[in-house]
Amino acid sequence: MSEAMPTLTRLERRQVDLHLTYDDGSEFTVSYDDVRHACPCAKCAPSRNDDESSKLLRRQVEALPPVKPTVRTVGNYALTFEWEDGGCSSGIYRFERLWALANRQDPDGGKPYVHGAW
Amino acid sequence: MAGPPVSTHTPSDGPAPEGPSADQQRQMEQAYAQMKRKMAMQSLGKRIKHKIMVLSGKGGVGKSTVSTGLALALAQQGHRVGILDIDITGPNVPKMMGLDGRRLHVEEGRIHPAQGHLGVKVISMAFLLDDDDTPVVWRGPIKLGAIQQFIGDVEWGDLDYLVIDFPPGTSDEPLTVAQSLPDIDGMVIVTTPQDVALLDSRKSIGFAESLKVPVLGVVENMSGYTLHGRAPAGTEVQIAGPGGRTHTATADDDGSFHVTLDLFKQGGGAATAEEFGIPFLGALPFDPGFVRGGDDGVHRIVSDPEGASSVAFGKVVAAVQAQIGQASSTGLEIV
Ligand SMILES: Nc1ncnc2c1ncn2[C@@H]1O[C@H](COP(=O)(O)OP(=O)(O)OP(=O)(O)O)[C@@H](O)[C@H]1O
Ligand SMILES: [Mg+2]
Repeated sequence: MSEAMPTLTRLERRQVDLHLTYDDGSEFTVSYDDVRHACPCAKCAPSRNDDESSKLLRRQVEALPPVKPTVRTVGNYALTFEWEDGGCSSGIYRFERLWALANRQDPDGGKPYVHGAW
Repeated sequence: MAGPPVSTHTPSDGPAPEGPSADQQRQMEQAYAQMKRKMAMQSLGKRIKHKIMVLSGKGGVGKSTVSTGLALALAQQGHRVGILDIDITGPNVPKMMGLDGRRLHVEEGRIHPAQGHLGVKVISMAFLLDDDDTPVVWRGPIKLGAIQQFIGDVEWGDLDYLVIDFPPGTSDEPLTVAQSLPDIDGMVIVTTPQDVALLDSRKSIGFAESLKVPVLGVVENMSGYTLHGRAPAGTEVQIAGPGGRTHTATADDDGSFHVTLDLFKQGGGAATAEEFGIPFLGALPFDPGFVRGGDDGVHRIVSDPEGASSVAFGKVVAAVQAQIGQASSTGLEIV
């Protein structure tokens, strides 16, 4: 999948979602709820390991007010999202993660998060 | 003979105040210490310009060698540098920095680092050991608490760079450090050319994603072996290397030449870096001088600053600095 991933050239922060433009001309929207729910940080990621806690995380995220995040690049491989409302801002989102979200794929690639084992 | 009764109370004294119980007193002191530590950590964030973590998935790949080399190379450039050795079970930074057998130096409740070569400030969990052969066996929360306390209680002064060396194979320590220390510039991941080590470094890259710490890049250690020899100045020398490859070198004006041979399959670090879209910071050759340096407490880049290993180290250091200095290079337009 990573071979096929085009380069993200433009990211527009809209009211409730991101509008993404890639260098192959493709465009996508990803809702802020999806972005927040897919947070790769060590606190959020384990919540997606099972359906129950994943749904709970989803509900928590959806309960947050719709705010525009501050978006920053990390090196040349990832983005961070900072949410003023106190929602989790810890995750570093690789471009692959965003691409998976854009394509409505599992951002974790079907792999459970394992803490402490690497 | 009795004069007026002598009172020990002055009029303003009301009833004797009920002091806090010993328990409350302790809690207050703890809370106060906690608060002071937190403030110390915040100011640490400001007084230390750059903080770099050095990690690997697998043990023995050369993290401590890279950490100490990075610290010394930065010090050689004239920077103020500190190194923090988080490895409680097998701390080897003090030995590499010529500070074997040091103990913790505490003054007015603050821990003062020892000074190693080139004035590099060193703090190691080893300074807590009673003797070098008794590892501290702290587990879980106690260990992590100790690390947090350690970070907050060290008096580093003003530093340009703090290099943090970790034990292999667990994510607890990096997580604790990342949570305690604000604004870490990023992590350097050390690998060796063998595939197993690479697999582990892949996992560590995935793990890096879950901390709010960017990956500065991958260093491939023990990559190739550099042969040194002598021949009349200007002579072209041919060496048969592994895998049937012929290497050529030309003897310099002093009649010295060197050739780097691939011992293991090379380029794995670069391949991993490319696969993950993270920077490749360079390769360090296999050099027995690193082992000797580790034992004698004089790092290779101090004892042999012109040698091939030091030159390779210099390139890695430059790549790390470039990575830190670099804002965004993605050309992404964020609106
Ligand atoms: N490039 C190299 N060439 C030769 N020997 C090396 C090289 N790098 C490291 N070594 C040696 O390999 C051994 C392990 O290195 P080091 O202690 O730096 O690894 P580490 O990853 O910190 O280990 P640990 O996981 O135990 O903390 C040491 O004896 C060191 O001198
Ligand atoms: Mg080590």
